[in-house]
Amino acid sequence: MQCDQFEQILIEQDEGPLPKQALAHIDDCESCRALTADLTAIHDVGLEMGGEGIVPPERVWISLRNLLEAEHIIRDPRLSPAPRSIRSGWWVAFQRPALAGSFLALILAGAGLMSYRGYEGSSSQLAFHPQFAPDQEAPPILSADSVFKQESLSVGNDSIPGLQKRDAAVTDSIRRNLGIVDNFIALCEKSVREQPDNQMAREYLYGAYEQKAELLATAMNRGTTGGLQ
Amino acid sequence: MNVSCNAVKAGVLGAVMAGCFLAASPAHADRVEKHYNVQSKPKITVRNSNGRIQVKAWTKSEVQVAWLNASGKIVVETEQAGNRIEVATRMSEDVASADDMKTDFDITVPVESELNVRTDSGNVTVESVHGDMTFDTVGANLQLSDVDGYVVVKTIDGSLVCTRCSGKLEANSISGNMQMIQPDLDSLRVQTSSGNILFDGSFLSRGIYIMKNFSGTIEVHFHSGDSFDLNATSLKGDVVNQASFKPDTHGSPHLESKFGHSLFGTMNEGHAKVELSSFSGTIKILKRD
Repeated sequence: MQCDQFEQILIEQDEGPLPKQALAHIDDCESCRALTADLTAIHDVGLEMGGEGIVPPERVWISLRNLLEAEHIIRDPRLSPAPRSIRSGWWVAFQRPALAGSFLALILAGAGLMSYRGYEGSSSQLAFHPQFAPDQEAPPILSADSVFKQESLSVGNDSIPGLQKRDAAVTDSIRRNLGIVDNFIALCEKSVREQPDNQMAREYLYGAYEQKAELLATAMNRGTTGGLQ
Repeated sequence: MNVSCNAVKAGVLGAVMAGCFLAASPAHADRVEKHYNVQSKPKITVRNSNGRIQVKAWTKSEVQVAWLNASGKIVVETEQAGNRIEVATRMSEDVASADDMKTDFDITVPVESELNVRTDSGNVTVESVHGDMTFDTVGANLQLSDVDGYVVVKTIDGSLVCTRCSGKLEANSISGNMQMIQPDLDSLRVQTSSGNILFDGSFLSRGIYIMKNFSGTIEVHFHSGDSFDLNATSLKGDVVNQASFKPDTHGSPHLESKFGHSLFGTMNEGHAKVELSSFSGTIKILKRD
């Protein structure tokens, strides 16, 4: 099986385990294995966040819908005779590097927003966001970061669709700056852990997360051409 | 009559086909130059991977695009639809290195023009263009001079030098330095993570200036006649101040944060608003000579 065939299976796969052929392919193909792992991680984080019962702002959905419609991934339901499941639409969207980056950014923005709202709320609301509880030794905020760390591990390799290594300077730049942002994230997390009521440190942490998401999106969006897109 | 009509049609068809071929033909080492007549304010979009992009203004109602790709392995696609002009590079299959991709552009536009530039590496310079502009780069350095409009810059580690820029500027970088020299901006929002920020100019009345970084230095040069409210905070770094501020009389009083170093105050009437913020960098508010 070739990589493009595997990607086609991913596109058509609604839920459930992958076919044996596809599983055999990802055993052999590091690129597709990394892609599958990344998408699964993002997908899982999305589900986890959805499970918390927090509704993102309407504008997030509007911008997401506009993005998907612009990419012809979804259509206006009034015009679509046989709409696919929402989950299917998301999964299809993940197949496009630009959109995967956008999803990542949206998830990140949502995480930041929820955390921010959690902090701004009452102390009882804080209980729902244990990452901000002072006594937590390993705040759950790290779990979100682990996703991005996994993402960054593969940036600069051929496993990231759209990012090829013909221009080593660009690849090096992205990797170097990912390292810078990772370092900032680590410093901010340390500050937030040491000073849970330090609002400024928290804002910097969210800013660093956002920057990382944008950087990953840029890495995935940048092909080897600047052609009309 | 029919014969002559057919001949005309064939000629037109041939010309169109030739035009299409030329518009997307592989570039050669020779310099290629194209001209586009425009009316009012054109919008020019440039997409390039690697190479210098230089944009200058002239008084003609015409856009001139010239490029040079030494390797001859890059296809330059151009398109005009009324006042919209798009220029983009596309590599052929045998491109092997960044040098193969390098394409230098010299673009001349009417003074009143909109620009949209996306490039990975190579310097971008824009001179004397008035209009809204966006720049999206990875490592390309950006030099703007005498531009006026709403300018948005997004770069990863490219630097920005904005000399005598007017209007509004939003710039975001991770490791690039940002310099605003003799600006005439009434709105500034600049953010870089590890880069340094320099603002050397006057704060306009009613202007809002927000400069933020993580670990670099933020340096603001003020004149004793400037009028602004200041809010400067560095969480882990220092705030160095040469100004004599009086307490901010606008709005609610600022509470001293128990974290980091902060400085609040008003210079003269406090017409402009200046916010400086750093995580671990040093903030310097220095008097201009």
